Amino acid sequence: MLWKLYYILITFNPACSFLSQTYHSEGHSGQYYTLPPTHIQKLFPYGLPPRFQLQIKTFNEGCVMVRPPALELISYLKRADYSKPPLRYVLYGDIGTGKTMSLCHALHYCYSQGWLIVHVPDAHLWVKNCKELLPSSSRPSRFDQPIQASQWLKNFKITNERFLSKLKTTQRYVWTKRESTEKGQPLGELIDQGVNRMKSSSDVVGAVLRELRLQAGGATEGEGAFKLAVAVDGVNALWGKTSLKKEDRTMVCCGGAILTALSQTGSVFKPRSAYLPSELLGEEGFDNMEPFVPVSVSNYNEKEFESCYLYYLDRNWLQHPHSRSEEGKKELIFLSNKNPSILERLCAFL
Amino acid sequence: MCVSLSLCLVRWSRYNPYYLDPDPSKDARVPESELSPEEKELQELKTVSPIKAALSSDTSSAFNDPLISKFINMMMQDGNKILARGIMTQTLETIKRKQVEKYHKSPAAKREEIECNPYTVFHQALENCKPIIGLASVQKGGKSYQVPVPLTDNRRRFLAMKWLITECRDNKHRRTHMYEKLSQELLAAFANEGNVVKRKHDLHKMAEANRAYAHYRWW
Repeated sequence: MLWKLYYILITFNPACSFLSQTYHSEGHSGQYYTLPPTHIQKLFPYGLPPRFQLQIKTFNEGCVMVRPPALELISYLKRADYSKPPLRYVLYGDIGTGKTMSLCHALHYCYSQGWLIVHVPDAHLWVKNCKELLPSSSRPSRFDQPIQASQWLKNFKITNERFLSKLKTTQRYVWTKRESTEKGQPLGELIDQGVNRMKSSSDVVGAVLRELRLQAGGATEGEGAFKLAVAVDGVNALWGKTSLKKEDRTMVCCGGAILTALSQTGSVFKPRSAYLPSELLGEEGFDNMEPFVPVSVSNYNEKEFESCYLYYLDRNWLQHPHSRSEEGKKELIFLSNKNPSILERLCAFL
Repeated sequence: MCVSLSLCLVRWSRYNPYYLDPDPSKDARVPESELSPEEKELQELKTVSPIKAALSSDTSSAFNDPLISKFINMMMQDGNKILARGIMTQTLETIKRKQVEKYHKSPAAKREEIECNPYTVFHQALENCKPIIGLASVQKGGKSYQVPVPLTDNRRRFLAMKWLITECRDNKHRRTHMYEKLSQELLAAFANEGNVVKRKHDLHKMAEANRAYAHYRWW
Protein backbone atom coordinates (compact mmCIF):
# COMPACT_ATOMS: atom_id res chain seq x y z
CA MET A 1 0.00 0.00 0.00
CA LEU A 2 1.26 3.43 -0.83
CA TRP A 3 1.30 5.80 2.12
CA LYS A 4 1.46 9.43 1.18
CA LEU A 5 4.03 11.18 3.34
CA TYR A 6 3.83 14.92 3.39
CA TYR A 7 5.40 16.77 6.27
CA ILE A 8 6.78 20.16 7.17
CA LEU A 9 9.25 20.28 10.05
CA ILE A 10 9.36 23.56 11.96
CA THR A 11 11.71 23.58 14.93
CA PHE A 12 11.23 26.29 17.56
CA ASN A 13 13.48 24.76 20.15
CA PRO A 14 15.02 21.29 20.23
CA ALA A 15 12.92 19.92 23.05
CA CYS A 16 9.59 20.80 21.46
CA SER A 17 9.36 20.71 17.69
CA PHE A 18 6.15 21.17 15.76
CA LEU A 19 5.44 18.68 13.02
CA SER A 20 2.43 18.79 10.80
CA GLN A 21 2.44 15.39 9.20
CA THR A 22 0.26 12.35 9.01
CA TYR A 23 2.96 9.79 9.69
CA HIS A 24 3.96 9.46 13.31
CA SER A 25 6.16 6.93 15.04
CA GLU A 26 7.36 6.07 18.54
CA GLY A 27 10.17 8.62 18.40
CA HIS A 28 7.71 11.50 18.15
CA SER A 29 6.03 10.77 21.44
CA GLY A 30 5.74 13.94 23.54
CA GLN A 31 5.99 16.35 20.63
CA TYR A 32 3.25 18.59 19.34
CA TYR A 33 1.77 18.41 15.89
CA THR A 34 -0.37 21.09 14.26
CA LEU A 35 -3.81 20.36 12.91
CA PRO A 36 -4.32 22.30 9.64
CA PRO A 37 -7.16 24.83 10.12
CA THR A 38 -9.11 23.57 7.09
CA HIS A 39 -9.16 20.10 8.58
CA ILE A 40 -10.36 21.42 11.94
CA GLN A 41 -13.28 23.21 10.31
CA LYS A 42 -14.30 20.21 8.26
CA LEU A 43 -13.66 17.33 10.56
CA PHE A 44 -14.20 18.73 14.03
CA PRO A 45 -16.95 21.36 14.01
CA TYR A 46 -18.27 19.70 17.16
CA GLY A 47 -16.02 16.80 18.12
CA LEU A 48 -13.27 18.44 20.17
CA PRO A 49 -13.50 19.03 23.92
CA PRO A 50 -14.78 22.59 24.67
CA ARG A 51 -11.65 23.71 26.53
CA PHE A 52 -9.50 22.63 23.60
CA GLN A 53 -11.68 24.65 21.24
CA LEU A 54 -11.11 27.72 23.46
CA GLN A 55 -7.38 27.00 23.32
CA ILE A 56 -7.44 26.83 19.52
CA LYS A 57 -9.20 30.20 19.43
CA THR A 58 -6.72 31.80 21.88
CA PHE A 59 -3.49 30.51 20.39
CA ASN A 60 -4.73 30.90 16.79
CA GLU A 61 -3.70 27.31 16.03
CA GLY A 62 -4.61 23.78 17.05
CA CYS A 63 -1.71 21.71 18.39
CA VAL A 64 -2.13 18.18 19.66
CA MET A 65 0.45 16.27 21.66
CA VAL A 66 1.48 12.91 20.21
CA ARG A 67 1.00 10.41 23.02
CA PRO A 68 1.47 6.62 23.30
CA PRO A 69 -2.25 5.65 23.41
CA ALA A 70 -2.94 7.50 20.14
CA LEU A 71 0.21 6.05 18.56
CA GLU A 72 -0.87 2.56 19.61
CA LEU A 73 -4.31 3.07 18.11
CA ILE A 74 -2.89 4.38 14.83
CA SER A 75 -0.47 1.46 14.55
CA TYR A 76 -3.37 -0.98 15.07
CA LEU A 77 -5.34 0.81 12.39
CA LYS A 78 -2.41 0.56 10.00
CA ARG A 79 -1.91 -3.14 10.53
CA ALA A 80 -5.52 -4.32 10.73
CA ASP A 81 -6.98 -6.63 8.11
CA TYR A 82 -10.01 -4.96 6.58
CA SER A 83 -11.61 -7.86 4.81
CA LYS A 84 -12.74 -9.28 8.15
CA PRO A 85 -15.38 -7.82 10.51
CA PRO A 86 -14.03 -4.67 12.10
CA LEU A 87 -12.04 -4.49 15.30
CA ARG A 88 -13.41 -2.49 18.17
CA TYR A 89 -11.10 -0.31 20.23
CA VAL A 90 -12.10 1.15 23.56
CA LEU A 91 -10.14 4.01 25.08
CA TYR A 92 -10.50 4.05 28.84
CA GLY A 93 -8.84 5.92 31.69
CA ASP A 94 -9.36 8.23 34.62
CA ILE A 95 -11.04 11.62 34.25
CA GLY A 96 -9.08 14.23 32.34
CA THR A 97 -6.31 11.97 31.05
CA GLY A 98 -6.91 12.63 27.35
CA LYS A 99 -9.28 9.97 25.98
CA THR A 100 -11.29 12.31 23.75
CA MET A 101 -8.12 13.97 22.47
CA SER A 102 -6.54 10.61 21.56
CA LEU A 103 -9.76 9.65 19.79
CA CYS A 104 -9.70 12.90 17.81
CA HIS A 105 -6.03 12.35 16.93
CA ALA A 106 -6.76 8.88 15.55
CA LEU A 107 -9.79 10.25 13.72
CA HIS A 108 -7.67 12.93 12.09
CA TYR A 109 -5.33 10.20 10.90
CA CYS A 110 -8.30 8.32 9.39
CA TYR A 111 -9.57 11.48 7.74
CA SER A 112 -6.22 12.24 6.15
CA GLN A 113 -6.09 8.67 4.86
CA GLY A 114 -9.43 9.29 3.17
CA TRP A 115 -11.80 7.22 5.26
CA LEU A 116 -15.46 8.00 5.72
CA ILE A 117 -16.05 9.23 9.24
CA VAL A 118 -19.12 8.56 11.37
CA HIS A 119 -18.45 10.55 14.55
CA VAL A 120 -20.71 10.77 17.56
CA PRO A 121 -19.06 13.45 19.69
CA ASP A 122 -20.89 12.65 22.90
CA ALA A 123 -23.35 9.81 23.15
CA HIS A 124 -24.56 11.18 26.47
CA LEU A 125 -26.30 14.02 24.59
CA TRP A 126 -28.62 11.49 22.97
CA VAL A 127 -29.50 9.85 26.21
CA LYS A 128 -30.29 12.59 28.67
CA ASN A 129 -31.69 16.14 28.99
CA CYS A 130 -33.71 15.82 25.83
CA LYS A 131 -35.90 18.78 24.95
CA GLU A 132 -38.13 17.22 22.31
CA LEU A 133 -39.15 13.62 22.22
CA LEU A 134 -41.45 12.31 19.49
CA PRO A 135 -42.78 8.81 19.11
CA SER A 136 -41.19 7.33 16.03
CA SER A 137 -43.18 6.94 12.84
CA SER A 138 -41.34 3.87 11.58
CA ARG A 139 -41.30 1.71 14.69
CA PRO A 140 -43.95 1.99 17.38
CA SER A 141 -41.77 1.32 20.43
CA ARG A 142 -39.03 3.80 19.58
CA PHE A 143 -38.68 7.48 20.45
CA ASP A 144 -37.08 10.12 18.26
CA GLN A 145 -35.01 13.19 19.00
CA PRO A 146 -35.42 15.48 16.00
CA ILE A 147 -33.07 18.28 17.11
CA GLN A 148 -30.15 16.00 17.88
CA ALA A 149 -30.69 13.97 14.71
CA SER A 150 -30.78 16.96 12.36
CA GLN A 151 -27.73 18.49 14.09
CA TRP A 152 -25.82 15.25 13.62
CA LEU A 153 -26.83 15.01 9.96
CA LYS A 154 -25.61 18.57 9.28
CA ASN A 155 -22.25 17.78 10.83
CA PHE A 156 -22.02 14.49 8.94
CA LYS A 157 -22.57 16.38 5.72
CA ILE A 158 -19.78 18.88 6.45
CA THR A 159 -17.32 16.13 7.31
CA ASN A 160 -17.93 13.71 4.48
CA GLU A 161 -18.77 15.94 1.56
CA ARG A 162 -16.74 14.14 -1.05
CA PHE A 163 -18.45 10.83 -0.39
CA LEU A 164 -21.99 12.08 -0.61
CA SER A 165 -22.23 12.16 -4.38
CA LYS A 166 -20.48 8.81 -4.83
CA LEU A 167 -22.65 6.65 -2.62
CA LYS A 168 -26.08 5.55 -3.74
CA THR A 169 -29.04 4.23 -1.78
CA THR A 170 -29.86 0.56 -2.28
CA GLN A 171 -33.55 0.62 -1.49
CA ARG A 172 -36.54 2.83 -1.50
CA TYR A 173 -37.36 4.83 1.65
CA VAL A 174 -40.82 6.18 2.31
CA TRP A 175 -40.99 9.09 4.73
CA THR A 176 -44.59 10.23 4.52
CA LYS A 177 -47.48 9.65 2.13
CA ARG A 178 -46.08 12.13 -0.37
CA GLU A 179 -42.31 12.01 0.17
CA SER A 180 -40.01 9.14 -0.61
CA THR A 181 -36.46 8.61 -1.74
CA GLU A 182 -36.02 6.24 -4.70
CA LYS A 183 -33.44 3.52 -5.08
CA GLY A 184 -30.13 4.70 -6.55
CA GLN A 185 -30.28 8.31 -5.35
CA PRO A 186 -27.04 9.85 -4.05
CA LEU A 187 -26.64 9.88 -0.30
CA GLY A 188 -26.54 13.69 -0.26
CA GLU A 189 -30.24 13.80 -1.08
CA LEU A 190 -31.06 11.50 1.80
CA ILE A 191 -29.25 13.75 4.21
CA ASP A 192 -30.88 16.88 2.83
CA GLN A 193 -34.22 15.20 3.35
CA GLY A 194 -33.35 14.62 7.00
CA VAL A 195 -32.06 18.15 7.54
CA ASN A 196 -35.09 19.80 5.98
CA ARG A 197 -37.76 17.65 7.53
CA MET A 198 -37.28 17.50 11.28
CA LYS A 199 -39.91 14.90 11.87
CA SER A 200 -38.24 12.17 9.88
CA SER A 201 -34.63 13.11 10.69
CA SER A 202 -34.08 10.26 13.14
CA ASP A 203 -35.32 7.76 10.57
CA VAL A 204 -32.91 9.30 8.08
CA VAL A 205 -30.10 8.71 10.57
CA GLY A 206 -31.08 5.06 10.76
CA ALA A 207 -31.25 4.80 6.97
CA VAL A 208 -27.84 6.41 6.55
CA LEU A 209 -26.26 4.01 9.03
CA ARG A 210 -27.86 1.04 7.30
CA GLU A 211 -26.60 2.18 3.89
CA LEU A 212 -23.06 2.68 5.16
CA ARG A 213 -23.12 -0.68 6.86
CA LEU A 214 -24.13 -2.46 3.64
CA GLN A 215 -21.79 -0.60 1.36
CA ALA A 216 -18.63 -0.52 3.43
CA GLY A 217 -18.21 -4.22 2.84
CA GLY A 218 -17.89 -3.87 -0.94
CA ALA A 219 -14.17 -3.22 -0.91
CA THR A 220 -13.27 -4.92 -4.18
CA GLU A 221 -14.66 -2.32 -6.59
CA GLY A 222 -12.17 0.38 -7.48
CA GLU A 223 -14.31 3.46 -7.17
CA GLY A 224 -16.84 2.50 -4.58
CA ALA A 225 -14.30 1.24 -2.07
CA PHE A 226 -13.95 3.22 1.07
CA LYS A 227 -13.14 2.53 4.68
CA LEU A 228 -15.54 3.43 7.39
CA ALA A 229 -14.50 4.70 10.78
CA VAL A 230 -17.17 4.81 13.43
CA ALA A 231 -16.08 6.86 16.41
CA VAL A 232 -18.31 7.17 19.43
CA ASP A 233 -17.31 9.16 22.49
CA GLY A 234 -19.01 8.28 25.72
CA VAL A 235 -20.02 4.86 24.49
CA ASN A 236 -21.06 3.82 27.98
CA ALA A 237 -24.09 6.06 27.57
CA LEU A 238 -25.61 3.70 25.06
CA TRP A 239 -26.12 0.80 27.44
CA GLY A 240 -26.56 2.44 30.80
CA LYS A 241 -29.79 3.54 32.33
CA THR A 242 -31.18 6.59 30.63
CA SER A 243 -33.01 9.51 32.06
CA LEU A 244 -35.31 9.23 29.05
CA LYS A 245 -37.88 6.56 29.24
CA LYS A 246 -36.89 4.33 26.30
CA GLU A 247 -33.80 3.74 24.16
CA ASP A 248 -32.30 0.88 22.20
CA ARG A 249 -29.02 0.09 20.45
CA THR A 250 -27.74 -1.72 17.37
CA MET A 251 -24.24 -1.92 15.92
CA VAL A 252 -22.96 -4.25 13.21
CA CYS A 253 -20.50 -3.35 10.45
CA CYS A 254 -17.96 -4.84 8.05
CA GLY A 255 -14.80 -3.46 6.49
CA GLY A 256 -13.85 -0.65 8.76
CA ALA A 257 -13.01 0.12 12.32
CA ILE A 258 -14.93 1.09 15.40
CA LEU A 259 -13.19 3.49 17.75
CA THR A 260 -14.81 4.36 21.00
CA ALA A 261 -13.92 6.21 24.17
CA LEU A 262 -15.57 5.89 27.54
CA SER A 263 -16.50 8.97 29.43
CA GLN A 264 -17.46 9.32 33.07
CA THR A 265 -18.36 13.03 33.04
CA GLY A 266 -21.91 13.29 31.86
CA SER A 267 -22.78 9.65 32.43
CA VAL A 268 -25.90 9.20 34.46
CA PHE A 269 -26.20 7.05 37.56
CA LYS A 270 -22.52 6.15 37.80
CA PRO A 271 -20.11 6.99 40.65
CA ARG A 272 -17.31 9.43 39.97
CA SER A 273 -14.44 7.06 40.69
CA ALA A 274 -15.54 4.45 38.13
CA TYR A 275 -13.27 4.44 35.09
CA LEU A 276 -12.63 0.82 34.04
CA PRO A 277 -14.58 -0.54 31.05
CA SER A 278 -16.33 -3.17 33.12
CA GLU A 279 -17.64 -0.57 35.57
CA LEU A 280 -18.74 2.07 33.08
CA LEU A 281 -20.12 -0.14 30.32
CA GLY A 282 -22.13 -2.36 32.63
CA GLU A 283 -22.73 -6.05 32.01
CA GLU A 284 -24.90 -5.65 28.94
CA GLY A 285 -22.53 -3.16 27.33
CA PHE A 286 -19.51 -5.31 28.04
CA ASP A 287 -21.12 -8.36 26.43
CA ASN A 288 -22.15 -6.31 23.41
CA MET A 289 -18.79 -4.69 22.91
CA GLU A 290 -16.74 -7.80 23.49
CA PRO A 291 -14.32 -8.74 21.96
CA PHE A 292 -12.59 -5.36 21.98
CA VAL A 293 -9.06 -4.01 22.15
CA PRO A 294 -8.72 -1.87 25.27
CA VAL A 295 -6.33 1.08 25.10
CA SER A 296 -5.49 2.66 28.42
CA VAL A 297 -4.91 6.41 28.68
CA SER A 298 -3.07 7.76 31.71
CA ASN A 299 -1.63 11.01 33.08
CA TYR A 300 1.43 12.65 31.54
CA ASN A 301 4.82 11.14 32.24
CA GLU A 302 7.79 13.47 32.88
CA LYS A 303 8.77 13.93 29.26
CA GLU A 304 5.20 14.75 28.23
CA PHE A 305 4.76 17.14 31.14
CA GLU A 306 8.01 18.86 30.15
CA SER A 307 6.77 19.16 26.58
CA CYS A 308 3.42 20.59 27.66
CA TYR A 309 5.11 23.09 29.98
CA LEU A 310 7.45 24.26 27.22
CA TYR A 311 4.54 24.55 24.78
CA TYR A 312 2.67 26.83 27.18
CA LEU A 313 5.81 28.90 27.72
CA ASP A 314 6.33 29.20 23.99
CA ARG A 315 2.74 30.29 23.38
CA ASN A 316 3.10 32.96 26.06
CA TRP A 317 0.46 31.28 28.23
CA LEU A 318 2.28 30.94 31.56
CA GLN A 319 2.44 34.56 32.66
CA HIS A 320 3.04 34.50 36.41
CA PRO A 321 6.79 35.00 37.01
CA HIS A 322 6.88 32.31 39.69
CA SER A 323 5.41 29.69 37.35
CA ARG A 324 8.39 30.16 35.04
CA SER A 325 10.88 29.23 37.76
CA GLU A 326 11.97 25.74 38.83
CA GLU A 327 10.03 25.91 42.08
CA GLY A 328 6.89 27.00 40.31
CA LYS A 329 7.21 24.03 37.98
CA LYS A 330 7.48 21.69 40.93
CA GLU A 331 4.39 23.28 42.43
CA LEU A 332 2.49 22.74 39.22
CA ILE A 333 3.51 19.07 39.15
CA PHE A 334 2.38 18.69 42.73
CA LEU A 335 -0.95 20.46 42.30
CA SER A 336 -1.97 18.79 39.06
CA ASN A 337 -0.42 15.33 39.57
CA LYS A 338 0.49 15.61 35.86
CA ASN A 339 -3.17 15.21 34.91
CA PRO A 340 -3.62 16.97 31.54
CA SER A 341 -6.97 18.65 32.19
CA ILE A 342 -6.13 19.81 35.72
CA LEU A 343 -2.80 21.21 34.50
CA GLU A 344 -4.62 23.07 31.74
CA ARG A 345 -7.11 24.59 34.18
CA LEU A 346 -4.31 25.59 36.59
CA CYS A 347 -2.17 27.23 33.93
CA ALA A 348 -5.21 29.10 32.65
CA PHE A 349 -5.22 31.61 35.48
CA LEU A 350 -1.51 31.60 36.33
CA MET B 1 -25.31 25.00 49.84
CA CYS B 2 -22.90 25.55 52.77
CA VAL B 3 -20.56 22.63 53.41
CA SER B 4 -21.14 21.47 56.96
CA LEU B 5 -17.68 21.45 58.51
CA SER B 6 -17.17 21.87 62.20
CA LEU B 7 -15.04 25.01 62.08
CA CYS B 8 -13.68 26.29 65.34
CA LEU B 9 -12.89 29.99 65.22
CA VAL B 10 -9.20 30.12 65.93
CA ARG B 11 -8.65 33.57 64.56
CA TRP B 12 -10.67 36.40 65.97
CA SER B 13 -10.55 39.79 64.31
CA ARG B 14 -9.92 41.57 67.63
CA TYR B 15 -6.45 40.94 68.92
CA ASN B 16 -4.39 42.78 71.48
CA PRO B 17 -2.37 45.46 69.64
CA TYR B 18 1.01 43.91 70.41
CA TYR B 19 0.19 40.76 68.40
CA LEU B 20 2.16 40.67 65.16
CA ASP B 21 0.86 39.67 61.71
CA PRO B 22 1.99 36.28 60.38
CA ASP B 23 4.23 36.17 57.31
CA PRO B 24 3.74 32.82 55.56
CA SER B 25 6.11 33.41 52.62
CA LYS B 26 9.26 31.32 52.34
CA ASP B 27 11.59 34.37 52.37
CA ALA B 28 10.43 35.37 55.85
CA ARG B 29 13.41 33.76 57.51
CA VAL B 30 16.56 35.60 56.48
CA PRO B 31 19.97 34.71 58.02
CA GLU B 32 21.33 37.03 60.72
CA SER B 33 24.24 38.45 58.75
CA GLU B 34 22.12 40.12 56.02
CA LEU B 35 20.03 42.26 58.34
CA SER B 36 20.50 45.90 59.22
CA PRO B 37 20.34 46.91 62.95
CA GLU B 38 16.65 47.92 62.80
CA GLU B 39 15.71 44.67 61.16
CA LYS B 40 17.65 42.75 63.79
CA GLU B 41 15.55 44.45 66.44
CA LEU B 42 12.39 43.47 64.57
CA GLN B 43 13.55 39.86 64.38
CA GLU B 44 14.16 39.79 68.13
CA LEU B 45 10.72 41.23 68.70
CA LYS B 46 9.26 38.44 66.60
CA THR B 47 10.88 35.76 68.71
CA VAL B 48 9.40 37.23 71.88
CA SER B 49 5.98 38.64 71.05
CA PRO B 50 2.92 36.58 70.15
CA ILE B 51 1.70 36.26 66.54
CA LYS B 52 -1.90 36.13 65.30
CA ALA B 53 -3.17 32.87 63.82
CA ALA B 54 -2.77 32.61 60.05
CA LEU B 55 -5.86 32.72 57.82
CA SER B 56 -6.70 29.52 56.01
CA SER B 57 -6.68 31.38 52.69
CA ASP B 58 -3.00 32.42 52.97
CA THR B 59 -0.43 30.04 51.47
CA SER B 60 3.35 29.95 51.61
CA SER B 61 3.53 29.57 47.82
CA ALA B 62 4.66 32.53 45.73
CA PHE B 63 1.38 32.38 43.80
CA ASN B 64 -0.36 33.89 46.82
CA ASP B 65 -1.25 37.55 46.24
CA PRO B 66 -2.63 39.65 49.16
CA LEU B 67 -4.42 42.13 46.86
CA ILE B 68 -6.22 39.34 45.02
CA SER B 69 -7.18 37.73 48.35
CA LYS B 70 -8.61 41.05 49.57
CA PHE B 71 -10.61 41.42 46.36
CA ILE B 72 -11.96 37.87 46.69
CA ASN B 73 -13.06 38.62 50.25
CA MET B 74 -14.85 41.75 49.10
CA MET B 75 -16.64 39.87 46.33
CA MET B 76 -17.71 37.08 48.67
CA GLN B 77 -21.37 36.88 49.65
CA ASP B 78 -22.79 34.83 52.54
CA GLY B 79 -19.35 33.36 53.20
CA ASN B 80 -19.22 31.50 49.88
CA LYS B 81 -15.46 31.80 49.38
CA ILE B 82 -15.31 28.93 46.88
CA LEU B 83 -17.64 30.73 44.48
CA ALA B 84 -15.83 34.06 44.90
CA ARG B 85 -12.44 32.44 44.28
CA GLY B 86 -13.82 30.62 41.25
CA ILE B 87 -15.11 33.89 39.80
CA MET B 88 -11.71 35.52 40.40
CA THR B 89 -9.79 32.70 38.65
CA GLN B 90 -12.23 32.79 35.73
CA THR B 91 -11.77 36.58 35.52
CA LEU B 92 -7.98 36.23 35.40
CA GLU B 93 -8.31 33.51 32.79
CA THR B 94 -10.62 35.63 30.61
CA ILE B 95 -8.31 38.64 30.81
CA LYS B 96 -5.36 36.45 29.85
CA ARG B 97 -7.24 34.83 26.96
CA LYS B 98 -8.29 38.16 25.49
CA GLN B 99 -4.79 39.60 25.76
CA VAL B 100 -3.02 36.48 24.43
CA GLU B 101 -5.43 36.31 21.49
CA LYS B 102 -4.67 39.93 20.69
CA TYR B 103 -0.96 39.18 21.09
CA HIS B 104 -0.99 36.27 18.64
CA LYS B 105 -3.04 38.12 16.04
CA SER B 106 -1.01 41.34 16.05
CA PRO B 107 2.17 41.90 13.99
CA ALA B 108 5.55 41.55 15.66
CA ALA B 109 6.03 45.31 16.07
CA LYS B 110 2.99 45.77 18.32
CA ARG B 111 3.51 42.68 20.46
CA GLU B 112 5.75 44.42 22.98
CA GLU B 113 3.03 46.82 24.09
CA ILE B 114 0.37 44.19 24.84
CA GLU B 115 0.38 43.22 28.51
CA CYS B 116 -0.57 39.56 28.83
CA ASN B 117 -0.01 39.00 32.54
CA PRO B 118 -3.46 39.15 34.23
CA TYR B 119 -1.91 40.02 37.59
CA THR B 120 -0.14 43.13 36.30
CA VAL B 121 -3.34 44.12 34.47
CA PHE B 122 -5.30 43.75 37.73
CA HIS B 123 -2.80 45.73 39.82
CA GLN B 124 -2.51 48.52 37.26
CA ALA B 125 -6.28 48.72 36.77
CA LEU B 126 -6.79 48.99 40.52
CA GLU B 127 -4.16 51.75 40.72
CA ASN B 128 -5.95 53.63 37.96
CA CYS B 129 -9.23 53.39 39.90
CA LYS B 130 -7.89 54.64 43.25
CA PRO B 131 -9.00 58.20 44.09
CA ILE B 132 -6.33 60.59 45.42
CA ILE B 133 -8.60 62.83 47.41
CA GLY B 134 -12.00 62.16 48.94
CA LEU B 135 -14.96 64.05 50.36
CA ALA B 136 -16.14 64.01 53.96
CA SER B 137 -19.34 65.47 55.35
CA VAL B 138 -18.65 68.16 58.00
CA GLN B 139 -21.42 69.94 59.92
CA LYS B 140 -20.83 73.63 60.62
CA GLY B 141 -23.42 76.15 61.73
CA GLY B 142 -26.39 73.84 61.23
CA LYS B 143 -25.47 73.04 57.62
CA SER B 144 -23.38 70.09 56.39
CA TYR B 145 -20.71 70.67 53.78
CA GLN B 146 -18.81 68.22 51.54
CA VAL B 147 -15.18 68.92 52.48
CA PRO B 148 -12.19 67.63 50.44
CA VAL B 149 -10.09 65.39 52.64
CA PRO B 150 -6.96 63.22 52.17
CA LEU B 151 -7.53 59.47 52.21
CA THR B 152 -5.43 56.72 53.74
CA ASP B 153 -4.03 53.96 51.53
CA ASN B 154 -6.42 51.38 52.89
CA ARG B 155 -9.41 53.62 52.28
CA ARG B 156 -8.32 54.29 48.70
CA ARG B 157 -7.86 50.60 47.98
CA PHE B 158 -11.22 49.82 49.53
CA LEU B 159 -13.02 52.48 47.47
CA ALA B 160 -11.44 51.29 44.21
CA MET B 161 -12.46 47.67 44.82
CA LYS B 162 -15.94 48.65 46.01
CA TRP B 163 -16.58 50.77 42.94
CA LEU B 164 -15.41 47.97 40.62
CA ILE B 165 -17.68 45.40 42.22
CA THR B 166 -20.80 47.57 42.44
CA GLU B 167 -20.30 48.76 38.87
CA CYS B 168 -20.17 45.18 37.65
CA ARG B 169 -23.10 44.07 39.76
CA ASP B 170 -25.49 46.90 38.96
CA ASN B 171 -24.75 48.59 35.68
CA LYS B 172 -24.22 45.69 33.31
CA HIS B 173 -26.49 43.48 31.26
CA ARG B 174 -28.37 40.97 33.40
CA ARG B 175 -27.45 37.85 31.45
CA THR B 176 -23.63 38.20 31.36
CA HIS B 177 -21.53 36.30 33.86
CA MET B 178 -19.71 38.17 36.62
CA TYR B 179 -16.28 37.13 35.35
CA GLU B 180 -17.05 38.53 31.88
CA LYS B 181 -18.27 41.83 33.32
CA LEU B 182 -15.25 42.08 35.63
CA SER B 183 -12.75 41.30 32.87
CA GLN B 184 -14.29 43.96 30.59
CA GLU B 185 -14.24 46.54 33.38
CA LEU B 186 -10.65 45.69 34.42
CA LEU B 187 -9.34 45.89 30.86
CA ALA B 188 -11.08 49.25 30.42
CA ALA B 189 -9.61 50.54 33.70
CA PHE B 190 -6.18 49.33 32.60
CA ALA B 191 -6.53 51.63 29.59
CA ASN B 192 -7.91 54.47 31.77
CA GLU B 193 -11.38 54.24 30.27
CA GLY B 194 -14.66 52.88 31.57
CA ASN B 195 -17.20 53.79 34.22
CA VAL B 196 -15.09 53.25 37.32
CA VAL B 197 -12.33 55.59 36.20
CA LYS B 198 -15.05 58.08 35.23
CA ARG B 199 -16.44 57.87 38.76
CA LYS B 200 -13.00 58.56 40.20
CA HIS B 201 -12.64 61.60 37.94
CA ASP B 202 -16.09 62.84 39.03
CA LEU B 203 -15.02 62.60 42.67
CA HIS B 204 -11.85 64.55 41.92
CA LYS B 205 -13.88 67.27 40.15
CA MET B 206 -16.30 67.54 43.11
CA ALA B 207 -13.34 67.87 45.50
CA GLU B 208 -11.81 70.56 43.28
CA ALA B 209 -15.15 72.40 43.13
CA ASN B 210 -15.45 72.36 46.93
CA ARG B 211 -11.93 73.66 47.50
CA ALA B 212 -13.26 76.65 49.37
CA TYR B 213 -14.51 74.49 52.24
CA ALA B 214 -11.12 72.84 52.79
CA HIS B 215 -10.55 74.97 55.92
CA TYR B 216 -13.53 73.34 57.64
CA ARG B 217 -11.37 70.31 58.19
CA TRP B 218 -9.80 70.39 61.62
CA TRP B 219 -7.91 67.05 61.57
